[in-house]
Amino acid sequence: MARQLIFDDQQTFLQQLEQLLADGIAGEHLEVRTPYHLSEVEALLGQQPSKLPFFALGGALAGFGGGFLLAALTSLDWPIITGGKPIVAVPPFLLIGYLMTILIGSLASFGGFLLLARLPRIDALVEEQDFDAHFIITIADEVAPCTTPS
Amino acid sequence: MHDSKLSAGGCYSLLLILAATIGLIEYGGLIDQQGSLLITLTFWSAVIQGAVAVAALTALVRAQWIASLRRELLALYPLLLLLALLFALLWPQLDLFPWSDQPTIWLNRPFFMGRNLTSLLLTFLAGRQLALHSTSGAPFKDRYAVVYLLTFVLSQSLVGFDWLMSAAYPWISTMFGLYFFTEALYAGIAVAGLAMLLYFRPRQQIAPKQTARHLRDVGLLLFGFSILWAGLFFAQFLLIWYANLPEEVHFVTERLASSPERELCWLFLLGLFLTPFVTLLGSEAKGDLRFVSAVSLLVLTGLFAERLFILLPAIPHHGGALLLYNGLLFIMLLLVLHSSERLLPQASSERDDTP
Amino acid sequence: MQNSASAQQIEQDVLAAMSRPSRCYLACILLAGLLFLGGMALWGRQIALGMGVAGISHPVGWGVYITDFVFWVGIAHSGTLISAVLYIFRARFRTSFNRAAEAMTLFALMVAGLFPLIHLGRVWLAYFLFPYPNQRQLWVNFRSPLVWDVFAVSTYMLVSLVFFYIGLLPDLAIVARRRPGPVGKIYRLLTLGWVGSSQQWRHYAKLYFLLAAFATPLVASVHSIVSWDFAVSIVPGWHTTIFAPYFVAGAILSGTAMVITLVIPMRRLLRLEAYIPVTHIEAIAKILLLTSLIVSFAYIVEQGLAFYSGNLFEMEQFRFRALGDYRLLFWIMISCNSLLPMTLFVGRLRRNLAYLFVLSLLVNVGMWLERFVIVVTSLARDFDPYAWGNYTPSLTEIGITAGSFGLFFLLFLLFIKVLPVLSITELKER
Repeated sequence: MARQLIFDDQQTFLQQLEQLLADGIAGEHLEVRTPYHLSEVEALLGQQPSKLPFFALGGALAGFGGGFLLAALTSLDWPIITGGKPIVAVPPFLLIGYLMTILIGSLASFGGFLLLARLPRIDALVEEQDFDAHFIITIADEVAPCTTPS
Repeated sequence: MHDSKLSAGGCYSLLLILAATIGLIEYGGLIDQQGSLLITLTFWSAVIQGAVAVAALTALVRAQWIASLRRELLALYPLLLLLALLFALLWPQLDLFPWSDQPTIWLNRPFFMGRNLTSLLLTFLAGRQLALHSTSGAPFKDRYAVVYLLTFVLSQSLVGFDWLMSAAYPWISTMFGLYFFTEALYAGIAVAGLAMLLYFRPRQQIAPKQTARHLRDVGLLLFGFSILWAGLFFAQFLLIWYANLPEEVHFVTERLASSPERELCWLFLLGLFLTPFVTLLGSEAKGDLRFVSAVSLLVLTGLFAERLFILLPAIPHHGGALLLYNGLLFIMLLLVLHSSERLLPQASSERDDTP
Repeated sequence: MQNSASAQQIEQDVLAAMSRPSRCYLACILLAGLLFLGGMALWGRQIALGMGVAGISHPVGWGVYITDFVFWVGIAHSGTLISAVLYIFRARFRTSFNRAAEAMTLFALMVAGLFPLIHLGRVWLAYFLFPYPNQRQLWVNFRSPLVWDVFAVSTYMLVSLVFFYIGLLPDLAIVARRRPGPVGKIYRLLTLGWVGSSQQWRHYAKLYFLLAAFATPLVASVHSIVSWDFAVSIVPGWHTTIFAPYFVAGAILSGTAMVITLVIPMRRLLRLEAYIPVTHIEAIAKILLLTSLIVSFAYIVEQGLAFYSGNLFEMEQFRFRALGDYRLLFWIMISCNSLLPMTLFVGRLRRNLAYLFVLSLLVNVGMWLERFVIVVTSLARDFDPYAWGNYTPSLTEIGITAGSFGLFFLLFLLFIKVLPVLSITELKER
C-alpha cells in the first residue's frame, strides 16, 4: 500500500520531503501534490527541465512557414494584381506569418502541455481529492510501484 | 587600478578638453567637409541619454532587473553635458540642413539651436539631479526619475525630428520621435551589456546569484527590445511601402538603390533584430556573458549603421573625422563606466536589494 | 509563506463572490440583458431593412460600427497587458486584477468581433473572410488589411482563451472541491483531471510563461493591425506612421480605464478590499497615466507634423479636426484623454478610488470619441471638396452601440458568479 503524508504548511512539507529523499527514497517513488507551483520541489526531486519549449518552437516555426506559404500560395493560385501590389507581397505576408507564429506556437504549447502533463486524466476526474488545500506526499509501495496511489 | 579612475572634476575637465579638441578639428581647417559631428551626435545622444534613461526607468518601477548596474549607468550623467557642448559646436554648420535657405516657423536657425540646446541642457540637469539623488542614501523619490524621463523623451524626439528627419526635409514620418527614444532605450540596455563586461567578474565573486540573474535580465531585455524594434521598424516600413506615395517612398528607394546604404540597411537589420533575436532565443545564451556582450556591441553597431543609413545621402561627412570622434567618445564612455564608483561614490539605498 | 488557515480564508473570501446573487446584481443583469436584447433587435431590423437604417453613407462609409470595433478591441488590450506583460515583468500587483482583466479581454473581443459583421450588412456572407478550400475556387486577399484583421483578432481570441483557461485550471479544481453536487462535477470535468502533482506543475509553469511570452508581442501587434486598417490608405489623417504605437497606447489607455471601471465596484460589492489593495489600483492608475502621456505625445506629433510638412491636405484635415464641425468631440477627447489623466501625477488623486472611478469613465468616453474622430473626420474631409460631407449616427447605430455595452456587462456579470474573480492559486502563492 502507498503511504500518504499530508501537510498544511509549506515549510514542514519541504523539510519532510528533503528528509525522505535523504533517507534514500528515490524521487520516482514519490508523488508530490501542491496547491501551487514550487520550484523547490522540482529542484529537490531533480526533475529535468520541461520539454515544452520545443513544442512552442516547433509550433512557432510551423506557424510562420505555414502562414507565409498560405498567403503566398493562395495568391499564386489566382494571380490577380490588387492595389498595385506584387502577387507575392512580402511585407503583408510576413504579417500573416507572424500572426500564425503566435497562434500555432501557443496552441502547440497548449497541446504539448496536455500531452506532457497527461491531461485529461480520467481517473482523477472521479477521485476525491484535496491536494489544492494541502501539500501531499504519496510514497508508492516499493514492491508494486506501478499501482495507482489511492 | 585605482589611479586610472576619474574624479568628477577630472571628468568634467576631460569633457571640456574633448569638446575643445573636436571644435578645433571642425573649425581649425583640419578637415574639408563638415557633417561628421552631426552624425556622431545623433548616435551618442541615444547611447548616453538612453543609458541614463534605462537607469531612471528601472528605478522608477522599482525593478530588480539590472539593479546592480544602475549606478554604472547613472554615472554616465556628466556625458549628457558633453552632448550639449558638442551640439553648440554645430551652430555655424546648420547649412548642412536642406531647410537652411528657406527657414520655416519651426525650422529656422535660432529656434532650432535654442530648443535643442535647451532640451539637452535640461536633460543634463535632470540626469544630474537624478544621479546625485539616487546616491544620497535618502529614500528614492520618483519625481527625479519622472522629470529625467520627460526631458529624455523630449530631447530624443527632437533628435528624431530635428536632427535626423529634417535632414530629409520635407519628408516626414510621424513615428520618428517615438522610434528614436525607443532606440535610445535599446542603446541604453546595450550599454548595460557592455558594462557587464567590465563588472561581471568582480561582482560575481561578491554576489554570484544576483549578478548572474542581472546578466540574464540584460539578455532578456536585449531580446525583448529586438522584437520591439522590429515591430516599430516594420510598422514604419509597411506604411511607406504600402501607400507607395512618391513623396514618401523616395526616402527608402533612393537609399536602397545606392551602395553603402543598401549594405548598411542589412547591417542594421542584422544587428538590431535578426542576430539578437536568434542568438538570445535560447535561455542559455541569455545568461552567457560572451553572448550578451557581443550582442550589445552588435546592437550599438546596428544603431550607428542606421543613423548612417538615414544621414549619409543627405549630409556630407569626413570619414577620418567621423572615425576619430566616435573613437574618442567610445573611449570616454568606457572611461566613465570604469570610474563610476568614484563619480557616484555612495551606493543608492536600494541598489543592493537582495531578492 | 501562507499557513493553511489563511489559505482557507482566501478560498472562502474569493468564492463568497460566487454565492447566491443579490437583488442589486439581478437588477444589473436585467438592465444589461435588456440593453443587449434591444441592440440585437435593432440589428435584426437592420438586417431586414438594409444598411439604410444606419447613418453611414457617402463619403463617410465607416462610422459608429467601426468606431465600436476599434473601441472594443482596444478595451481587450489591457487584459493581456496585465496578465501577460506584467507577468513577464514580474510585477506583483497583477495578481489583483489578472483574472478579471483576462475575462474582460475575452468579452471585449467577443463584442468587438460582432461589429465587422454588423457593419458587413449581408452578415450571412461573413464566411467569405476565411481562407479555406471552396468550390468557388476563391481565396481571400491577403494583401488587404481587413484580412489581417481577421487573422489578428481570431488569433488574439484563441490565444487569450487558452491563456485564460490555463490560468483558471488550478482554481477550477478548488471550486470543484468546495462545490458539492452536480455543479461541482461540472467544474471537475473542466479541470480535465488536474491534480497538482509536481509533474503537472512544472509543465504548467513553463506553459504559463510561454503563453505570456507569445501574448506579449501579440498585444502590441493586434491593435497595430487594427490601426493599419486606416493607415495603409492614403487618406489624410489616417496615413501616418505613428498610428501603430499610437493605437496600441490608446488601446491600453482605454483598457486600463475599463479595468478600473470594473474593478472598483467589484472590489466593493464582493468585499475583496483585502485582496485588491489601493496600492495595486494605484499601480494600474500609473499605467493609465503613462499611456495617456504616450497618446498625448501622438496627438501633438500628428498635429505638429501636419503643419511641419506643409502638405495642404494634412493641414486642412487637422485644422478641421480641431476647429471644424466635430470640434466639440475633438476637444472632449483632448480633455478626457490628455488633460484629465495628467491629474494622476498627484499621488493623492491616484489613491482616491472615487476620483479614479469617475476619471476612468471619462477616459472611456474620451477614447470612444477618439476613434470616432479619427474614423469620421478623415472620411468627411478627404482630398476632393466635392466629396466632402458630414455624418451623424442614426438611432440604430446608437442603439446597437448601447447593446454592445449591454452584452459586455452582461458577460462580465455572469463571469463574477460563475468563476473565481481572483486567482486563488496565485494569491496563496503570494
